Amino acid sequence: MADAAASADKSIQVKLVLLGEAAVGKSSVVLRFVSNEFQANKEPTIGAAFLTQKCRLEDRVLRYEIWDTAGQERFHSLAPMYYRNAQAAVVVYDVTKAASLDKAKSWVKELQRQANPHIVIALAGNKVDLVNNAAASSSSTTEETSEDEPDDATATPAELAQAASGDGLRAVARDEAQAYATEAGLLFFETSAKTGEGIVELFTEIAKKIPIEHILASTRGGGANRPGGAASGSNAQGNVNLDANNQTPKNACNC
Amino acid sequence: MGVVQAIMSVFADDGDKLRCINCADGRTRITFLARSPLYYVCVSSWGEPESVTRFHLEYLHLQILSVVTALQLQRIFEKRTNFDLRRLLEGAYTYLASLHPLDLAMTTASLGALRIEPSLRNKVADALVPTAKIKDMLYVVLVAGTRVITLARPRKHSIHPGDLHVLLNTVTSSSVRDAPASWLPICLPKFNPNGFLHAYVASVRPAAELTLVLVSGGGGDGFERVRGWCETVMKKLEDDGTLDAVERAAKASEYSVADLGIQGLRHFVYKNRAHVQVTTPRWEEPYESLGARRRLITMYQRIHDAIHAKSGQEGQLKLQYIRTEHESVMGWITQPFELYITLSPRLPKSAVVGAANAVARWAKREEARLFLRDAPVF
Ligand SMILES: Nc1nc2c(ncn2[C@@H]2O[C@H](COP(=O)(O)OP(=O)(O)O)[C@@H](O)[C@H]2O)c(=O)[nH]1
Ligand SMILES: [Mg+2]
Repeated sequence: MADAAASADKSIQVKLVLLGEAAVGKSSVVLRFVSNEFQANKEPTIGAAFLTQKCRLEDRVLRYEIWDTAGQERFHSLAPMYYRNAQAAVVVYDVTKAASLDKAKSWVKELQRQANPHIVIALAGNKVDLVNNAAASSSSTTEETSEDEPDDATATPAELAQAASGDGLRAVARDEAQAYATEAGLLFFETSAKTGEGIVELFTEIAKKIPIEHILASTRGGGANRPGGAASGSNAQGNVNLDANNQTPKNACNC
Repeated sequence: MGVVQAIMSVFADDGDKLRCINCADGRTRITFLARSPLYYVCVSSWGEPESVTRFHLEYLHLQILSVVTALQLQRIFEKRTNFDLRRLLEGAYTYLASLHPLDLAMTTASLGALRIEPSLRNKVADALVPTAKIKDMLYVVLVAGTRVITLARPRKHSIHPGDLHVLLNTVTSSSVRDAPASWLPICLPKFNPNGFLHAYVASVRPAAELTLVLVSGGGGDGFERVRGWCETVMKKLEDDGTLDAVERAAKASEYSVADLGIQGLRHFVYKNRAHVQVTTPRWEEPYESLGARRRLITMYQRIHDAIHAKSGQEGQLKLQYIRTEHESVMGWITQPFELYITLSPRLPKSAVVGAANAVARWAKREEARLFLRDAPVF
């Protein structure tokens, strides 16, 4: 029966993982999607955070089970555990930090090699609010920037200072990222967790692209021999704590 | 940094461990701790005993091991002696920094239990204990903030207070607390300094900081299993109203020293030695200000140092009494408990002794509510 995955409220569970360099805004993107909030000084994620959020499409309701992973080097070896059974991935980079796109590309490569072959991958260029105004008039006095600075500990404050000064320079052109995404077969969005721009679209477009039939089929094929697979039927009810956020459905995909 | 390393290696060569330097200003002390391959240095002018500073550095070391295991450290520094550890600790600074030197449970090397009706504590315990064997399940703990309501563990594995502090310090860091649930690798160094465990942390009633923590000894992919048990526990606690009752109890668990009705008593720390737990009233005047609180805690620490003969004192003292212009403080250690009490400096010593006896009687009477006495095993 299909209602193993389509639980009591007929929603279909979709596992989604967020990947990307530390501090590009993964947790902030999720927070915007799940609670429609933004925190200016979000503390780094430890391990991975687990959240859920519903996404309503015209003909169906998806229930995202989201893994928001920590981007630090020391957590890298844990990543396969999160993406192994994922049906969707959002790979995030920071539009003001070129190196973060390189990191995103290497995540995409890893996903394409090792994740579920039907996984839907979206590339998100976050913090677009920092470049929206200053897009055309980039300042001319560019001192030695910290972009190729190897020591992360010093790169971060520099980046923050840049952000604070309000003229964050775009380091990744939209066209360039778009071209890469098209070539690699990814969905692509520029987003801002701060203003909310592009966030709902991001999760809605992923939802539309998820091969639901495939999920249902694999569920029917016996969830038992796919531990942690799409079904997780036994966990569908009872997780009141995790669902607390859903009491405000106004923030769900409103389409 | 290089200077510190040079000084320490000279002393290490001498076979003589550098412990501390007292600066010429007479107030500042620099304390060193070597935990190969790391060196810890603390500069302090609070006037706490050296043993206390070292104890805090030991805790910092445990917290660092929770992020990078001893084995990883050893391997890294074998390969590259000049490795910048900051790279591996990235993103962990906020909770490393949150280890609080004024935490009384930490100072007394014990755990803080939540004051709650024993019947309610038992109900929670019944819900936490796995009914059937759950592979790799180690600890199941319900906490309010950093105060333990109850803790279920396998018969073979008790939990070291040091590990519990590290665990609670990590799970109360804001990024974990803000998330509805987290799954994180953590090394509990007293359990095993060389390997990671995984903790599932669910923020169940954020308003009362109620958090359910499940520690699994297995790998990261034990997630679904652990989450499954978390949800079963939650359902049990929700269905019979236990969680609501616990939330109410947690919000009302702090007590005032005035509730004891003991003349002149301002504050105390009572440690139940058998259960390795402390209880202490909330901070009130004249200890609302951080400065006054720090002064008092430093006094407690000095007395703690003296009654445990931590600084090479000749023998342990059973009783230590200090009176300053601000307050009278007395420490008293017996077989079942350790007690630190503070009274107005105007009262005679006999009144202080009388108050100590009264607090001890009160704690004995209230024991079942104050302390977690029979943590369930499975
Ligand atoms: N201006 C701006 N700042 C953002 C945005 N998203 C995240 N940030 C900030 O970037 C920092 C890192 O965000 P976080 O979500 O923790 O990144 P993560 O490590 O990828 O999860 C935080 O200080 C956020 O407030 C955004 O869209 N715009
Ligand atoms: Mg994060």
